[in-house]
Formats: sequence, C-alpha cells, structure tokens
Amino acid sequence: MRKLERLAINDEGFIFDPETGNSYTVNKTGLFIIKLLKEGKSEEEIVKALSEKFDVSEEDARRDLVDFIEQLRLYGLLEGENV
Amino acid sequence: MYRVAVSGINAVDNPGPGVGIAKGLKEGSLEISIYGLAYDAMEPGIYMKWLFEKSFIMPYPSAGEEPFIERLLYIKSNYGLDAVIPALDAELPLFIKSSSLLESYGIKTFLPTEEQFKLRGKDHLPEIAERIGVKVPETRIVTSYEELSKAVEEIGFPVMIKGIFYKAYKAFNISQATSYFNSIVAEWGYPIIVQQVVTGEEMNVVGVGDGEGGHFGLVGIKKLWITSLGKIWTGVTVRNEELLSATERFVSEFKWRGAFEFECIVNNRDIYLIEVNPRFPAWVYFATGVGVNLPDRLLKAALGLEPERDWDYPAGKLYVRFTDDFVTDMSEFQRVVTKGEN
Repeated sequence: MRKLERLAINDEGFIFDPETGNSYTVNKTGLFIIKLLKEGKSEEEIVKALSEKFDVSEEDARRDLVDFIEQLRLYGLLEGENV
Repeated sequence: MYRVAVSGINAVDNPGPGVGIAKGLKEGSLEISIYGLAYDAMEPGIYMKWLFEKSFIMPYPSAGEEPFIERLLYIKSNYGLDAVIPALDAELPLFIKSSSLLESYGIKTFLPTEEQFKLRGKDHLPEIAERIGVKVPETRIVTSYEELSKAVEEIGFPVMIKGIFYKAYKAFNISQATSYFNSIVAEWGYPIIVQQVVTGEEMNVVGVGDGEGGHFGLVGIKKLWITSLGKIWTGVTVRNEELLSATERFVSEFKWRGAFEFECIVNNRDIYLIEVNPRFPAWVYFATGVGVNLPDRLLKAALGLEPERDWDYPAGKLYVRFTDDFVTDMSEFQRVVTKGEN
C-alpha cells in the first residue's frame, strides 16, 4: 500500500502516520495538496488546481508544490512513486 | 472469586508494572481480589486500597527461596491465594524455579521458562535477531579497556555503552565511553555491551505468549514523551506490520510463555531488536485501554481458563500518564511497618 494512503488526515490538517506514530500539521494549502496526491493526481493537475483555488500563477504554484513534495519526502511520507 | 497477588507496586518515578497490571485485572471479566506484594513500606501501591485489597511486605528474593515461598504460603493460608503475577526482573528467577512447587500448593503462575528468561540478556540479542529475521545493532561484548577501545574503533562513534541488563548511555568519544564503562561496571559488573547507534523510530510491543507458539494479543506503541529516566509519559499506538510480524515470529520461534515486552528501533522496513523483557512493562495498562486486556488474559491462562486472543486494536490511541496524590492515615503506614501487611 502506498504510504500516503495509510495516513490519517483530518480536515484541520492534522496528519497521523499509523506505522510510525509520528504526527504532523499542515496549513490549508498543504492539506489541499495532500488530498490531491492521495487521489493520485499528477503534478500538472495539482499545479492547475492550486493556481485556480488560490489565485496564483502556475509558476508560483509549481515552485511551492515541488518544495512541499520535497518536504514530504524528507519526512518519509512520500515514496518515489507519486509525482 | 479468585485471589491474585501482584508485585511491582512501586508506582514511583521509575514505576513498576504492578499498578498497571492491577488496573487491567480490575477491568477484566473475572471476579477477583488483588493483593499487593511490596519490598518497602513506602511503595505507593500499598496505600491504593481501591486496587489492592491487602498488601504484604515480602522478603527480598536474594534472601533465598524458602522465606519467600513461606511468605506466599502465609498469605495463602490466611487470606487465600490462587495466582501470582510477578512483575519485577529480580524476583522472576525465583518464581520460575519455584513455579511447580507453588502450583502444588495451588498458587498458579504463567511465566517464561528458565531458557526464555535468559534471553533477556543483551548478549543473546544477536541469536534472537538471527532466528526471527530482524537486525541487531552491531554489538561487541567487552570486559576490559583494551576490548572497549578495540570495539569503539571498529564500530565508530557515537556508540551505546550498556550494561547487560540495565543502563545505557550514548558516548561520543573514548573518554565518555571509558567513563560510562567504569560507571556501569561499578554498579552492575561485567560484561559491558558496546553497540552501534541506529536511527529510526523507537517502538515497543507488549504481549502474552501462550507457550505453544501463539499469543493472547499484541499491542505496538511508540513513546512520544519520556522522563529523564527514559520512562514513557505519553505514547501512541502504532500498527507497523513489519514490527508486529517480527514479534509474532519471536513468539512462535521461542514458544514464548507469559508476558513480554519487545523493544525495537524501526527504520522504514528495517527492524533492529534492542531488548526483550520477560515481563509486563509499566505501561501495560495502555494495552487494556485499547481493548487488549493482557493482564486479565495472563491471569486466565494461569488459572487454566481459555483467554481471548483477539487483538485488533486501533492505531492512534493516546496514552497519558500523570501524577496524582491522596491522603491517608499514619496508622496505615504503622501497620505495614509493624505487621508487614495492611
């Protein structure tokens, strides 16, 4: 099972990893991205969605997305297969 | 009504498991009366009458088998005693050795065998790890300065310097390593374990083996907050399938009987075995609280009743320990001091 699918995520942005017992909080944007990643959306789709939802340029959205994904990897919450 | 005695009722800053065991037994399905076995009149459990109906000061196990068994027989003949759940490492060898004798007097236990008990020594970890297919931090067993410096040179800093049963320190250089080596030798003697530091999540599993390769439930946890003595203060249940299946392999490979705590460091798919304790940990009430009442199940196994085996506990349950206090009469303390029981 993919790591992301195992995470328990609530609407306030609290994330619990049942395998490691670690918990994290994310802001509204982070929560939005994680939900889309869980749905299996591609980087392009997420960039478009971010740009529409938060009214930012696709370039800014992409930069923030790449940065965020890197952080998820750093915490071991994302294994290579997603984006 | 079953009468069961529980030791380790020293609910202090380095708590024994007795109070947690008693809380589990109280919440179990058997009608029971619990007695506390203490080694000091100041052990708080003695005064916690809502858990321990009576408490008894015991002779130290080091005083020998005879006075210890006599004390248990005194309890049995005066107040009735069907089972004992010992919870302290120091008394386990005596209970294990005397279990048939106690059984012949109608006092039941459910304990590991002598061979299983010996596995708790950290020098046995590589053997356990190999048989159940987990890793163990690179380990050297040393008994001199020469061996110590050779071991740290081979493993590289930082290293863990550990006693065979107690104490563990992280050393970053040879002078720290030597100083921890000396302090453990002074307190606990030889040998000393020199171990590689492994990174990952520290997780523990509590369980009760049935002695035939199966078990009466497992609960995996991660300590979130610990005291300066390394004791859990808050924790969370985890469901790490690698860890749980390694624990099941341990139980089946060694046909573990009785309570145990399986301590590991988990790094993604790698499980490093750190320690096996042949008894309940002090946080055992956590298992009861998530629906796997291990103390109750162990008591049933001791009494020859069939315990439950379901253990589908949820991940993400939070354990919170807290300090509490109460006021009682000096006469309670006096009775313990003068009569050895209360």
